[in-house]
Amino acid sequence: MAGKSSSIAPTTYSPSPTLKVKKKQQQQQQPIFKDVDWVRPDGRSFQHCRPAFLRTGAVNSASGSAYAEFGNTKVIVSVFGPRESKKAMMFSDIGRLNCNVSYTTFASSIRGQGSEHKEFSSMLHKALEGAVMLESFPKTTVDVFALVLESGGSDLPVVISCASLALADAGIMMFDLVTSVSVSCLGTNLVIDPITEEESYQDGSLMITSMPSRNEVTQLTLSGDWSTPKIHEAMQLCLDACLKLGEIMRSCLREATSAPHE
Amino acid sequence: MVGLSVGEKHFIQGGIAQDLRSDGRKRLTYRPISVETGVLAQANGSARVKLGGTDVIASVKAELGRPNHLYPDKGKVSIYVDCSPTAAPMFEGRGGEELSAELSAALQRCLLGGRSGAGAGINLSALIVVEGKMCWDLYIDGLVVSSDGNLLDALGAAIKAALSNTGIPKVNVAVGASADEEPEVDISDEEFLQFDTSGVPVIVTLTKVGRHYIADATLEEESQMSSALSVSVDRHGHICGMMKRGGAGLDPSVILDMISVSKHVSDQLIAKLDSEISAAEVDEAES
Repeated sequence: MAGKSSSIAPTTYSPSPTLKVKKKQQQQQQPIFKDVDWVRPDGRSFQHCRPAFLRTGAVNSASGSAYAEFGNTKVIVSVFGPRESKKAMMFSDIGRLNCNVSYTTFASSIRGQGSEHKEFSSMLHKALEGAVMLESFPKTTVDVFALVLESGGSDLPVVISCASLALADAGIMMFDLVTSVSVSCLGTNLVIDPITEEESYQDGSLMITSMPSRNEVTQLTLSGDWSTPKIHEAMQLCLDACLKLGEIMRSCLREATSAPHE
Repeated sequence: MVGLSVGEKHFIQGGIAQDLRSDGRKRLTYRPISVETGVLAQANGSARVKLGGTDVIASVKAELGRPNHLYPDKGKVSIYVDCSPTAAPMFEGRGGEELSAELSAALQRCLLGGRSGAGAGINLSALIVVEGKMCWDLYIDGLVVSSDGNLLDALGAAIKAALSNTGIPKVNVAVGASADEEPEVDISDEEFLQFDTSGVPVIVTLTKVGRHYIADATLEEESQMSSALSVSVDRHGHICGMMKRGGAGLDPSVILDMISVSKHVSDQLIAKLDSEISAAEVDEAES
């Protein structure tokens, strides 16, 4: 996490021009993830997140929007509403949250592969519904549309964090910002914020979505074989990273409001 | 959803707080489970599990297919759940789709382990026929016949029972085929290989109502939940999958506590389920 926490203001991050060369190298390398002293493909240490670049106001026509870039994972989320719920829907004295996550056809290396993430929309909804004050906009619907421009691993956590930033940008009342981080278990190692290559070889994964200032977990999924001490360790790692990501997101919002309007 | 009066809601919540629920159970007691195996003649294995008013059927079908090129030494398993509108009117049309997708995703996460196959309850390497060329594809389908809460645990139990009921036909591969040719196989219709289900986990869902959490919630109790945690635990006490449901957030320490409680509950559930499955198999053999 050192890279994220060292600077308080979000550092603008420029995609490295050597990206294409790097990709070729990665494909040639035989992954030896199970060794004790392997180096992660992008040179990070195990407990080091990718550099994060966050910006609000990516889409003009939306009530609020945000763009997030974590390494190669690039996500754009726009929020529309609150607007009147569809006539067919029953009366509800609390607001509705409508979430949709979609992938561009060019998001992954194989075209159209992104369509296998159907459950992401409902997972995004579950991650956000506990944080949004739905009673503050009765009878209306807020739409959250997320688009994964490029899938580079840990897509859902990036989508969730970016969506909460977009909600905040739209002025939707929330108890707290929602941050999300995932950890992969590779052999005996726990690696935080995994990239696609690491995810495809993982033995297990844990994703935690939390509201850092309230110390509450809104969503959690775990797969693979885990012992209890390992879960403790991974949860602590995630929650710590969530806390730091929350600070970065907050400073991004602060910067957006203090910047003069063009 | 469930229509409850204010009085009924208080009754349910108060009962849970006092460790005496509406149907007389304690907080961590399951409803009586009954298991019936071999209910579908067309499937390779099937089971019907009744958990109080919840009634589900699971079927396992095996077909020969090609293994994924990324994992040439592993078979494939897919799990789907169908919520029939016969169970509840809200499952009609697209109403059941969301719940079906949620249950399918949860079961896949619990039973199939990580991406590399580690921690999978089903031994995928046992499904291989010819490495890189031919493997068994297992299609596991769940059907919700009647819904009275705790569908996930019931479906998990039904799949476990159906898998232990599954016989996979023995395949004889013709020797002498060259490396790039499609292997010739002969599927035996008399000899079957029994499936090893000792590693298949059970799913325990703890539902948080008020400040307490309960196991095996009924539909009425589920309507009062703030959040729920489903944990899948195998025989050795290892956690194979976990997911949270419900909107409200949970404190991390509560989650860790719920994990240890669910491990304890899973011991009893596994023992109960094992005896029910073996009793059902004896019944099936006799009839």
